[in-house]
Amino acid sequence: MDTFNLERLNFLVVDDSSHMRSLVRSVLHGLGAKHIEEATDGADAYARLCTYAADVVICDWQMSPMDGLEFVRLLRTATNSPNPFVPVIMLTAHTETKRVMEARDAGITEFLAKPISAQQLGSRIRAVIEHPRPFVRAESYIGPDRRRRQDPDFEGPERR
Amino acid sequence: MDDEPKAEVITPPDTLKKKVKTGGPGAVDGGTLERAEAVIADMTDNYVEWAAKDLAKIYQALDNLKAEKKDRKDALALIFQLSHDMKGQGGSFGYTLMTILGGTLCNFVEKLEDAGSVEIEVIQLHINAMALVIAKQMKGDGGKEGVQLLKGLGLVAAKVSKE
Repeated sequence: MDTFNLERLNFLVVDDSSHMRSLVRSVLHGLGAKHIEEATDGADAYARLCTYAADVVICDWQMSPMDGLEFVRLLRTATNSPNPFVPVIMLTAHTETKRVMEARDAGITEFLAKPISAQQLGSRIRAVIEHPRPFVRAESYIGPDRRRRQDPDFEGPERR
Repeated sequence: MDDEPKAEVITPPDTLKKKVKTGGPGAVDGGTLERAEAVIADMTDNYVEWAAKDLAKIYQALDNLKAEKKDRKDALALIFQLSHDMKGQGGSFGYTLMTILGGTLCNFVEKLEDAGSVEIEVIQLHINAMALVIAKQMKGDGGKEGVQLLKGLGLVAAKVSKE
């Protein structure tokens, strides 16, 4: 398994809790990241992305005034989006299955349930580096391809 | 079928792999992960301070609920937000009980339109339990005391759900 050096990647950490931002920043530093910017909600993050070329966004869900889902939808669908393809790791204490599906349908790349560990955050970052996903632009969805497992033998109408 | 909505598949530029070096000094290996976990462990004292501050805010919000001020929805929203944060933070620092208690409290509050005396008592019991966990630095499951705490709250929750 390849080991990755994260020092050239730009991270944007989006969370309305300064405690959580501090925790994620410290873990990222521990993993070797050098370039880390912060934003306090979805609107702040969107504005930051207009001037900061983030390679990975690590985003909370529960924030105000703009929450994480609204932010991801805007990022993926706005015609003037500053970075529509950037991988978004949603990091949230919402852990119910329907919430995970909702986040997936908003266009996130990876989901990580709080409370976090360095091991888990490292594995999600590895996933977005190792397995870049194609994007799908359809009438009702724009974002990473939601089909994780490609089955060449599948012949039914619904492939998700 | 012709009338099926069309989906366009786009391959974004693979900039991450181009920017990331593989192997060598600074790459994330087992040792790096261990050190990063140690960074979290070193922040435990900070966490205890954060939790104490959040508990002070949550007690203030509860006081507003008890005082029957007009901004009751705001108070409930703040209690939800803070308990949700506590759910998300405790376990990272070994405070599993804080994650459990924060989870049950935010699930309870999320369903409330308003809070009467029974609901306020449930909220109060949860906050008191979390304050005890922090004051006594009860890590993990909190031992016998932690088990008793959760059992007691479970009985309260069951009683409230029957009413």
